[in-house]
Amino acid sequence: MASSTDERIFQTTSRGVQMMHGDHIDTVESVDVVFRAQRKLSFSFAAVFFIVTLSIPAMSVWWEPWYAVEIWGGFTANYLFVSLLYYVFLWVMAYTYIKKADKLDASLGDLADEIAAKTAAEAAGGEQRG
Amino acid sequence: MSSVGNLNVVAIIMVIIVTVFTVGLAILVRRFTRTTADFYLAGRKVGTFANASAISGDYLSAASFLGVAAAVYASGLDGVWFAAGFAGGFIVVVLFIASALRRFGEYTVADFAYGRFGSNRIRLVTVVMVLLTSLFYMAPQMYGAGTTWTVLVGAGIFGLSPYNTGVLIVAAIIMFYVAVGGMKATTLNQIFQFWWLWTAMFLVVVFAFTVGNFNYPQALQEVTDEDLLDVRTVTVAQLTEVDPETGEAMIDGVRERMSDRALEPVEAAIETGDPEATVGVTLPAQNKLHTLRKMWFNEPGHRYDGLNQFSMVLALVLGTAGLPHILNRYYTNPSGQAARRSTFWVLVFIGTFYILAPIAGLAGKLIIDDAWRAGMAPENAAYVDGLLVRSDALMPTIAQILGGEWLMGAVAAGAFAAMFSTTGGLLIASASAVGHDVYEKYVNPDAPEIKRVIVGKASVLFFSLVALGIGFGIPAAGLDVAYPSLIAMMVTWAFSLGAGAFVPMLLTGIWWRQTTERGAITGMIVGGGGSLFFIIMNILNQTGRLGAEGILPFLGSLTFPTIFTFPAAVLAIIIVSKIDGQLPKNVDEIWMRIHGTASERHEKDMGTDKASGVFSSGQK
Repeated sequence: MASSTDERIFQTTSRGVQMMHGDHIDTVESVDVVFRAQRKLSFSFAAVFFIVTLSIPAMSVWWEPWYAVEIWGGFTANYLFVSLLYYVFLWVMAYTYIKKADKLDASLGDLADEIAAKTAAEAAGGEQRG
Repeated sequence: MSSVGNLNVVAIIMVIIVTVFTVGLAILVRRFTRTTADFYLAGRKVGTFANASAISGDYLSAASFLGVAAAVYASGLDGVWFAAGFAGGFIVVVLFIASALRRFGEYTVADFAYGRFGSNRIRLVTVVMVLLTSLFYMAPQMYGAGTTWTVLVGAGIFGLSPYNTGVLIVAAIIMFYVAVGGMKATTLNQIFQFWWLWTAMFLVVVFAFTVGNFNYPQALQEVTDEDLLDVRTVTVAQLTEVDPETGEAMIDGVRERMSDRALEPVEAAIETGDPEATVGVTLPAQNKLHTLRKMWFNEPGHRYDGLNQFSMVLALVLGTAGLPHILNRYYTNPSGQAARRSTFWVLVFIGTFYILAPIAGLAGKLIIDDAWRAGMAPENAAYVDGLLVRSDALMPTIAQILGGEWLMGAVAAGAFAAMFSTTGGLLIASASAVGHDVYEKYVNPDAPEIKRVIVGKASVLFFSLVALGIGFGIPAAGLDVAYPSLIAMMVTWAFSLGAGAFVPMLLTGIWWRQTTERGAITGMIVGGGGSLFFIIMNILNQTGRLGAEGILPFLGSLTFPTIFTFPAAVLAIIIVSKIDGQLPKNVDEIWMRIHGTASERHEKDMGTDKASGVFSSGQK
């Protein structure tokens, strides 16, 4: 049974659903590998992001050297971080994530092709044996 | 000075230039808008730099351009957080939403909800939430239009007040250019408008460093050496009432603190003997966070207590990922990777803008005060002892002091550009919710392409009229009196609504396969409905309708409900999904659409993952 979305074709085989676009195929197994790797990457970065971001109000509430001690002219560590350094943190974080995500996409794309080819070969072998 | 009465001629000419360019671009692009993909998504072929600029233009509203510097001027560090939080929100977008949303490959957030959960019910709930969020975001733009027109022109047409005239003219211009040019015109205008307002902010800061001899750490030291002061309007009775405990009246502190020149109108009001006469005075600000400490500019606590410090950060950081007009822009990217790259450049563009805005706010603290004491402050704004009565007037005021009418003109045009670009995006989001999500899916699924585009344009006209009504209604409802920083406040409401209604649904829908339709709907109602409840309570509280005692004023005191509504919505989704367990029959297909990469690998092979010109027609 086949259905389509845009130019993507979905096909239900004896080994589950497959998504085809041109010469490329996604299987349940390959998508699961991609999803798990992307989830690990995104949630690792998110943990760092939220720890750093929520540490700022936490320190503003509970740590006087952070919010009340001037370290450069009128800058407290709190003011310096929120007005300048936080953006550097965001840029480095976004840049690093995007590089890693692009790299992951490329390697997972190859892996997905390998898994799809292997699945197709196994299916063909199974049909021949049958 | 090139002015006629209160009219600032140079500034008005620059605003007219921006407006003519905006409208002209829409007319030019009209012939390239033939299909619904062109009208709503600019043909899905907007390149990384262009899309990043357009998203930035879409995102930077009057609240960012006028409100952030004003918030820093009035509140110091707590105001700086608006800038940092607005920028930080894009990290959530890039980590969790950008590429998945684009890979799914639909038109709108409601399309995603329908495609992911497979029910008409959730699509309609999403449409309602999209419209509510967009209207909350549209309100401050319209209010900004009215107030900026009042400062800039100070005159009305057709018997309307200057405020209502500003609302009418801005709504009419946006309605025309969005309806005529659709997403392509909106995209091009947002690119142009973003760079105009970025340059205007940059120029103000450059002029502060060069003409105003501004030194960042030294200036911060200088404003922190004195107490942070608030401007308050009080009656003579309040001013002269003696506190039985201390034996002192408010006027005693005022006389010690304020200059002779500033005291003149105060003493004159007292001499009249009318206890109800009102005067503007400065009062030391209270520290809401560390209540035993004095309030200084470089410390937190002017606006928010401990709970609201956290809740504000969460609302701003999570709210960005729940703004429908921003999410819609991700569908215009040619690929998931391009969506991520766009977001990085958005962070660079708006990050530099948000570094500059607090500098303008701090510089204004010193430069406006110096100008007032030298008798050189612009007459359009009102002051109390060198402090602006309405901090939202900071940007045009400091621009006029530093760079005369030309810089003031660039800032005024920037303010209008910010309103045009954001309201344009909101109109597209609202129009697509009705024209695409309701009309094309339910009313007339077989409608020909031309009819679909016409319905999209009619939706734009309708929501422009709604925006107009909201703009007129704000002063009538007394909101401008109830909230001193209304623009920033109303934007925060939209963020809270988006963070409660959409972000839990999107996060679980993308990253938790077991999410069910019933779970997602429950989460949207809990998060969106809860946010709406707290916002209404806050409005009722601020307008004095909840009294002073009991649970209701407590519920109304929560400025940012996200700290409660977001986790409640996520929890609701998880619990209901676990109990429900009814996954869509084609969940494997859905999962492949979100996380599969076959399409992108194919498009990469074919070279169709790259952007083409925005002027080209046709869809992917």
